[in-house]
Amino acid sequence: MEKSSRLFVFIGVLVFIGIVFICRLFYLQIIDTSNYYKAQAYGSNDITIYPDRGTIVDRFGKLMVYNDAVYDLMVVPQKAKDFDKVALCKELMLDTSEFNKRLKKASKYNPREASVIFKNLPFHLYTRLQEIIYQYPAFYIETKIDRRYNINGAAHLLGYMGEVTEKQLALDKYYKPGDIKGVTGLEKSYEIYLRGKKGKKVVLVDKFSKQQGSFAGGKFDSLPSAGQNIISAIDLDLQVFAEQLLANKIGSIVAIEPATGEVLSIVNSPNYDPNLLVGQRRNKNFASLLLDPSKPLFNRALKAPYPPGSTFKTVQALIGLQEGVLTPDTKYPCHGGYHMGSITVGCHAHGSPLDLKNSITKSCNAYYCFVYRSILDNPRYGSVQIAYSKWAKYLNSFGIGINTGIDLPEESGGIVKKPSWFEHEFGKNWRSSNVVSMSIGQGQIGLTPLQMANTAAIIANRGYYYTPHVVRSIGDHHFVPPSFKQRHYTMINPIYFDTVIAGMANVCSPGGTAGRTGISGITICGKTGTAQNPHGEDHSIFIAFAPRDNPKIAICVIVENGGFGADYAAPIANLMIERYLAKDRSVASQKPEMLSRMLKANLTGKPTTIKDSVIVVKPK
Amino acid sequence: MEEKLHIDWLSVVLYILIVLFGAINIYSANSGVEEVLKLDFSKEYGKQVLFIGISAIIVFLILLTDYKFFNFSAYGIYIVVIGLLLILLATGSFNKGAQAWFKIGSFKLQPSEFAKYATALALSKYLGGFDIKFEGRRNILSTFGIILIPMLLTLLQNDTGSALVFGCFILVLFREGLSGWWLILGVYMVTVFVVTILLPSIQIIIALLLICGVFVYFNRVRKQLVFLALTVFLASTFYILSLDFVFAKIMKPHQQQRILVTLNQDVDEYYAKKSKGFSIFKFEKSKEKDKSESKRDYSYNVRQSKISIGAGRWVGNGFNNGTQTKAKLVPEQHTDFIFCTVGEEYGFLGSTLFLLIYLLLIGRVYYLAERQKNVFSRVFGYSTASILFFHFFVNIGMALGILPVIGIPLPFMSYGGSSLISFSMLLFTFLKLDANRINEISRLN
Repeated sequence: MEKSSRLFVFIGVLVFIGIVFICRLFYLQIIDTSNYYKAQAYGSNDITIYPDRGTIVDRFGKLMVYNDAVYDLMVVPQKAKDFDKVALCKELMLDTSEFNKRLKKASKYNPREASVIFKNLPFHLYTRLQEIIYQYPAFYIETKIDRRYNINGAAHLLGYMGEVTEKQLALDKYYKPGDIKGVTGLEKSYEIYLRGKKGKKVVLVDKFSKQQGSFAGGKFDSLPSAGQNIISAIDLDLQVFAEQLLANKIGSIVAIEPATGEVLSIVNSPNYDPNLLVGQRRNKNFASLLLDPSKPLFNRALKAPYPPGSTFKTVQALIGLQEGVLTPDTKYPCHGGYHMGSITVGCHAHGSPLDLKNSITKSCNAYYCFVYRSILDNPRYGSVQIAYSKWAKYLNSFGIGINTGIDLPEESGGIVKKPSWFEHEFGKNWRSSNVVSMSIGQGQIGLTPLQMANTAAIIANRGYYYTPHVVRSIGDHHFVPPSFKQRHYTMINPIYFDTVIAGMANVCSPGGTAGRTGISGITICGKTGTAQNPHGEDHSIFIAFAPRDNPKIAICVIVENGGFGADYAAPIANLMIERYLAKDRSVASQKPEMLSRMLKANLTGKPTTIKDSVIVVKPK
Repeated sequence: MEEKLHIDWLSVVLYILIVLFGAINIYSANSGVEEVLKLDFSKEYGKQVLFIGISAIIVFLILLTDYKFFNFSAYGIYIVVIGLLLILLATGSFNKGAQAWFKIGSFKLQPSEFAKYATALALSKYLGGFDIKFEGRRNILSTFGIILIPMLLTLLQNDTGSALVFGCFILVLFREGLSGWWLILGVYMVTVFVVTILLPSIQIIIALLLICGVFVYFNRVRKQLVFLALTVFLASTFYILSLDFVFAKIMKPHQQQRILVTLNQDVDEYYAKKSKGFSIFKFEKSKEKDKSESKRDYSYNVRQSKISIGAGRWVGNGFNNGTQTKAKLVPEQHTDFIFCTVGEEYGFLGSTLFLLIYLLLIGRVYYLAERQKNVFSRVFGYSTASILFFHFFVNIGMALGILPVIGIPLPFMSYGGSSLISFSMLLFTFLKLDANRINEISRLN
C-alpha cells in the first residue's frame, strides 16, 4: 500500500468512529428513555407546599382546633465543619457532648441529607436562631405545621390525624406517601373540606439534594389554597362541662338541639387529650391509649349499644298509641310486677292501677308488659312475627336499629333483631311472652347514646328529627349540607306525643322517678332508665328535653354501673340543661350540692381522662 | 516578494466555532441557576474567556513567527519541556506526592499538556531530518525513545490518561511506514484483553487451542504456517495469563473498576466470580475491601453522564437550561465531561452536528497533513490530527459510556488554560506550516 493512501485509513477510521458515536447518542437520547426519566427524577424535585388545614370553632366561634408552626433545627452533617460549636450549643442551651451525639447520629443516618438536630424549637430560640443562623451554613430551620387542640377533651368528636395508608393512597390521588389525613372524628369526616388544595414548587436539586433554585422560572409552580374553616354545632362550654361531670365515671352524654338536629355536646368517658396524638409523641401515646384496659379510644356515644331500660317506655307508649292498642286512659294493674304463667317482670312499689301518663312518671314495668304484648299480639297482624316486624319498622322511623347518619365516622345502628333471629332462638312459633323483657328496654334491644338522645329530640319535636350533625356550616360562605335541613318523620302521629310528654314532665317533680333532681323554673321532660346488664351494677340512664314548649335541648346521659337512673344520669342531665338554658353561664347552679356531688363522684377509682396536664375544674 | 498568508480558513473557522461553543457550555455547567449572564473572572467560565484571549495572542504570535523557527527550535523546546517534567517529578518527591502542574499565582501550568506539542515537534524534526527514514533498528529505537521519554515521565506523575495520549503517535508512525500488522496486533490484543476480563481464562485458552489445532491440521504440510500458528497460540496464552496477573495483582482497584464499569460488569458480582476460581490469580482481599467506595464513584460518573446526555432527547433543553447540568449532577462536567452539557442542552441533533464539526476539523487536519511537501510538516500534521483524534475518541467515548473513564480533556472545549493554549499552539503551528507550503512551492519553482 502506498504510504500516502494510508490517509484513507485515517479518514475511514474517523467516519467509523463518527458512526459509532452517533449510533450511541441515538441510543442514549432517543431509544433508551430511562435516562430521560431518571433525569426528571434527579434534576428537579417537586416540593409540595402544604396548605393550612381548616380550623374548627364551636357554635359561638370559640377556637377548638387550629394549626401551629413547629420549628425544627436541621443539619446537613457533611457540611457541618468549621463552625463555632460552643457558641451554637450555648444558644441551644445544649450540652456539647449531647450535641456531638446528635450530630453523629445524623451523620450515621445520611451525611449528605438534612436531619433534625433539635426538634420543636421553643419560640424564643427560634427567633434568636433566625438572626444568627447565617453563621452556620450547614444548619437551617424547617417549619412544619402541626395540629393543635384548644381543649383537653372531646377527642372522639374531633378525632386525630394519621399517615395515609396504602389503600387510601390508591383510592385518592390527592395523597402522597407520608401525607397526614384525618383518621377519626371530625378530622376524618370533613377531611375533604379541611385539607385544602396543595401547592407545588418545582426546584432544581443537586446531587446532595440541595436546592439550587426554581425550575424553569417557576413555570410549573402553583400556590396552595388553605382548607375551609368549619363552624361546629358544639357548645364548647357545655362540652367541657359535660366532660367534667362525667369525669371518673364511665359513660356517655349526647345533647342535641331538637329544632335543628345540631349536636351541642357529645361526650365519652374514658376520654383523652387530643393533643396526645400530635407531633412526635403521637406514636408512643397512641400505643399506650390502644393498650389501655379502660379503652379510652372507644367511642361509646356512637358505637356502644346499651339496653335503653325504662327510657324505652316512651317509645313503647307512642307505638301503642299509634297502633290503637293503647289510649291515654288505658289503665293496667301492677302488683309488684307483671305475672304471666312462669314469667315475672318485677316492679317497684307504686299506686295501682296507673294510666298512661302516670305509667311514665312512675315508670311502671307491668304497664309496659301489657302494652308491648298488646302490640305484638294485635289480632290485626295475625301473627307475632308480622306484628314484631311492624314494631321494628316504627323503631327504624325513630332512627333505632339503623344508622342515624350523623356526620361522624364509625357509627353503629344499635340492636334491633329481625323476626328470624327469634325463630332461631325460641323456635318457629315464638310468642310475645318470649320477648316481654323488651317492653321495658331490656333483652334483645340496644340503642347508642346518640340514638337515645335523638329519641328525646323526636319526642321534643313531637314526631320528627333532623339527622344529628356536629357541624353547623362549612367555609367562609357558611355552606350547610342539604341533608342537615331534611326532616325525618316518625310513623307516630304528632297528636299522640302530648300524653307521653305530660308523663315525662312530671318525672323530675316530686312523685316522679327522678323527683329530687328537678331544676326550678325549667320544665324538664325526662325519663329515667335503669338498665340491667351482665357487667355488674345497673347502668344509670336518663333521656330528657327542655323546656317543655319550644324545646331547646334534648339529652341522653348514660353512666355505666351508676345504679338507678335518678342516681347519676338524671342529675347530670338536669345540670347540663340548667347550664345550657342559663342566660349567663357564670351564674352558679341552683343545686350546688348536686353539682359538687356529681363532679366528685368517682365510680372507677382512677382518672378516666387521659391527658398530659390535668385541667383545672372550676365547679360553678 | 511579499509572503501572503495562505492559512486554511476552514480549519480556523471550525476552531473558532468549537472554542466559542466550549466557552458557552462551560458557562452553562459552571454558573448558578438564577445567575445573571455576566463575565466574572473569578469563575471558571470567566477564566476560560481569559484563556481564549491568551490563546488568541499566542496564535497571533505563531502566525507571525517564521516557519523555520519551529523546525529549528524543535529539539530545544522538547528538552525544555522534558526538563520541566523532571523538575516536577523532583519537587513531587519532596512534597506529598506527584504533582502534574506548576502553580503560578492562581493559575496552574500543566507541562504534560505542552509535552505533546514538544514531542510532536521533536518527532517531526527527527523523522524529517535529512536521510532519516523510519527504518533500521537505530532509527526506530530513537523514534520510540522520543515518544516514550515524556510518556514515562507523565506516567510517573500518576497521570495515566495523559500518558496514554502518547500512544497516538503510533498512528503517525503507521503513516510513516510502520507495518499495518502492528495496528492489527494492537486491535487483537485489546480484543483478547476484553475477552479475558469477561470470560474465564481457561476457556479462552482452550478455545484458542481448538482454533489453532484446526488451523494446523488443514495446513499441516506448510511448516511455516504451523510454526506461526503455534507461536501465536503460545504468545496469546502467555499474554492472557499475564493479563490475568496484571489485572488481578498489579492494577489498583479503581483502575479495575473503571474497566469493569465500562464493560457493563457488576463489580461485586465480578469479584465474587473471580474469587470462586474464575481466574487463575486470586484477587487480594485488601483490594476488595475498599472497592465499594471507588466502585460507586466511577459508575456514578458514567451513570450521571449517560443520564445527562439521555435527558437531551431530540433537541435538548436549550442553552443554560439543562437540569442535570444546572444541578451539577455530573462530576467534572466543565472539564472532562463537557460533552454532557452538549448532549443535554442541544439534544441528539445538536450533539450530532457538534460531532460532525469536530470530525470535520480532525479530518481536515489529516487531509492538510497529507498534502505537505516536506516530512517535518507532514509528521507534525499527522501528530496534530492524531492527538486531537485520540483525545476526541477517548473523551466522547467515556462520556457516552463505551470507554473506561480516563480523565483527559476534550481539546478546545474542556475548561483549562494549559490544555486550550497547548492545543491551540499545536493546531496553529501546523496551520502556519501548512500556510507556508504554498510559499515553499513558489520558492522552489
